[in-house]
Amino acid sequence: MNIENTQSQMRKGVLEFCILSIIKRAEAYPSDIIEEMKKANLHILEGTLYPLLTRLKNADFLTYRWVESTTGPPRKYFSLTDKGALFYKELESTWNELANAVQQITQNGHSITAEPLQNFNQ
Amino acid sequence: MKKVININFQGRVIPIEESAYEELKNYTDSLRRYFAREEGRDEIINDIENRIAELFTERLKKNTEGCITDNDLNEIIASIGRPEDFDGEGEESATTGIKTGATAGSSQSSGTAEPRGSLYRSDNDKVLGGVCSGLASYLRIDPTIVRILFALITFGGFGSGVLLYIILWIVLPSKSLELQVRRRLYRNPDEKVIGGVCSGIASYFNIGVWIPRLIFTLPFFISILGNIFGNRWGVFHDGPDVIFGSFGGTLFVTYIILWMVVPFATTASEKLEMRGEKVDLESIKNTIQEELQGVKGRSEKWGEEFKERATQWGDEVKEGAKSFSAGAAPVARTAGNSFGHAIGVLFKAFFLFIAGVIVFAMFIALMAIIFSGIGIFPLKNFVLEGFWQNTMAWGTLILFLGVPIVASVIWLIRRISGVKSKNNYLGYIFGTLWIFGWVSVITLAGLISRQFKRTGNIKEEISITQPSNNKLLVDLGETYGRYYDMAWFDDDGGNDLPALSADEDSMLLNTVRIRIVKSKDSLYHTSLVKLSRGNTPLQAEQTASQINFPIKQNDSILYLPKGFGISKESKFRNQQVLVVIEVPVGKAIRIDHSIDWYAWFNINSSRRGLNIDIDDDYFNYNDYSWRNDIWYVMTDKGLERLDKKDRDSNDKDASGESNDWNKDENKSGGEYRYRKDGDTIDIKIDRKDTSVDIKLRTELLPKEGEDENKSDAIIAKKVKSSSYGKSLISVLDLLKVGS
Repeated sequence: MNIENTQSQMRKGVLEFCILSIIKRAEAYPSDIIEEMKKANLHILEGTLYPLLTRLKNADFLTYRWVESTTGPPRKYFSLTDKGALFYKELESTWNELANAVQQITQNGHSITAEPLQNFNQ
Repeated sequence: MKKVININFQGRVIPIEESAYEELKNYTDSLRRYFAREEGRDEIINDIENRIAELFTERLKKNTEGCITDNDLNEIIASIGRPEDFDGEGEESATTGIKTGATAGSSQSSGTAEPRGSLYRSDNDKVLGGVCSGLASYLRIDPTIVRILFALITFGGFGSGVLLYIILWIVLPSKSLELQVRRRLYRNPDEKVIGGVCSGIASYFNIGVWIPRLIFTLPFFISILGNIFGNRWGVFHDGPDVIFGSFGGTLFVTYIILWMVVPFATTASEKLEMRGEKVDLESIKNTIQEELQGVKGRSEKWGEEFKERATQWGDEVKEGAKSFSAGAAPVARTAGNSFGHAIGVLFKAFFLFIAGVIVFAMFIALMAIIFSGIGIFPLKNFVLEGFWQNTMAWGTLILFLGVPIVASVIWLIRRISGVKSKNNYLGYIFGTLWIFGWVSVITLAGLISRQFKRTGNIKEEISITQPSNNKLLVDLGETYGRYYDMAWFDDDGGNDLPALSADEDSMLLNTVRIRIVKSKDSLYHTSLVKLSRGNTPLQAEQTASQINFPIKQNDSILYLPKGFGISKESKFRNQQVLVVIEVPVGKAIRIDHSIDWYAWFNINSSRRGLNIDIDDDYFNYNDYSWRNDIWYVMTDKGLERLDKKDRDSNDKDASGESNDWNKDENKSGGEYRYRKDGDTIDIKIDRKDTSVDIKLRTELLPKEGEDENKSDAIIAKKVKSSSYGKSLISVLDLLKVGS
């Protein structure tokens, strides 16, 4: 069993949740998302992010618009659709349940209730 | 020091080190392969490329080196990540992440281990049904090559390719396939002349773009050269058989096929693919050999699979019927698109073909004009007078005719070698020169037409001795002077142009015409009317008087010269000779067929310029109421054939028509025969059963209107007198209706 592999597996599970969460707050450009996640110490490669965004978009959770950029080609700014918001809600509750469960199990029964996402909300 | 190249990346020109470019190419290729089975592959790659382009521009702003270096690229790639870095991530999240209702990507990405041994139709890379692409993926070669092969089989094998394709389309299951070839054949939109086929081939085989271009255009050049030199040396040719000639034709068709089949490299990655890994015969051979070894084992498996599929098929058909309406629309759309593309290409090809033929014809015509111009040039001394006319003639030849040829040759060479001029100086120069050429032409035409403005004529009486037998034969005499055949005009053995021959000093004209009129007295008379043109009537007369047209006589034979010469001094001014022969009433004349030799044409100078009216057809002309080699006798009414019996076979529109029917009767047998000209009517009346047998033979069926009625009336009259009148008339009516 490879430790790195397990770590990345754990991270991957929450990636979409995190991304959606960032986009939910404001329309976001992929490198903004990367930046924000980097600040939260959650590293993600752009090569991973783009396919993820495309998949979410194809599943009608995200939409985007082109914004002209002064530095380069036009950028895609992503925002959440209604369907995406619902999806996010579901993920959120799942996460809360999961986080609670994990907390409970790992912290000997002391459940956490508030701010499970504080890392990402800085 | 590293080589820096400019690339077009996502619509941006990026200066990049060549090694970095190679790296970038490999990177995008690896991404492409990695996302091959991803649903939004093109979009993802496009997004990433877009991001790379953005990072490039950012770096270029800060960068002191002014280009993207290996370092820059490596950093960028590191931030985006290599496929091996995010290996698994994408697919995991695709399957685990989007649980609710997002089945889109998962079903496809679940089939990770591609069963390469099986043959599928490609779902993601198709023109019609994805058969070619699937075959290519199976054989690990470029789909385009398979497509070309199919197209060739279709064109060459009487449509068997279509049948094969349809069978495969039906039999093979569809599947999203990964492309396993690094380099693909594209049409190159950046360096195209017509369809970008040649430059695409060049990148595919990594050769200079001029090589395929030369190969494709060579037959055209050979043919053009063939035409030119064919003309020059009098070698008979069948015209420009470039396009349908075997070699040229094959290439032409090949080009069209490639144009239709090969896709344009539109995106940057496609362009990179276009220049991808080296594809050579060796690697193709190796692949095929590998394949062949595996075929044995696979064929058995194939048989089983096929059985299985057949049973599945039955079920699928049921389901398929349900989903047909849903599935048909997109299929129809793609099919429609590709058919549209094919039709578009065919239409374009047709248009270009027509345009090409027109351009080619114009080119050949220009060549012909040039060469005939040079051919006529020795004759210029006969036409041109004075400094200005000569100057303008040279101007015409060099500027008006030469400039377009030189320009088109330069244009062709540039087009083929791919040189693009940065400025239009050459175009302006050629344009200006050509305008001068036009001025020359117009001035020259004006100057020359002045010389043809007025007509002048001189009438000369030629004394002849009266023929002893009251018959006069007009024949052609010996050649006047020496004359040289003019190869330039002698295109098919006939003499279409008036100038028979020319050397530096003299030119022989045969614009001679004969007119036969009735003599006032009882003698033959001959006179010559010499015509010419000139700036003033006086000048024209002067030129006309210089015509030398000696007529010789040998008792009853009148020898006319073959033509008359004009010298450099007297110039060519449309000199003509009219030979008027007066024939007394009751005396005969005959024109020998050799008189056909003469030609006739008029040059008129009007406001619109010079009009040349070539009329070498004697029989359309009113003056000629006679034919060759026939004796005519002059009557009060005009010329008449001496031997009327000839007329039936020779002269169909004789003026003196006789209304009498020659009648042979055998009354006892009830047989009648009526004859008139070529018509014969046989009537046989059987007295016993009152039947009538009528045979009508006619060589000249009466035309509508008069003739018919006339002959009917005659017949009816004759018939009435007989006792079987009524039945005959009714039969004749029937006959009339029938005919």
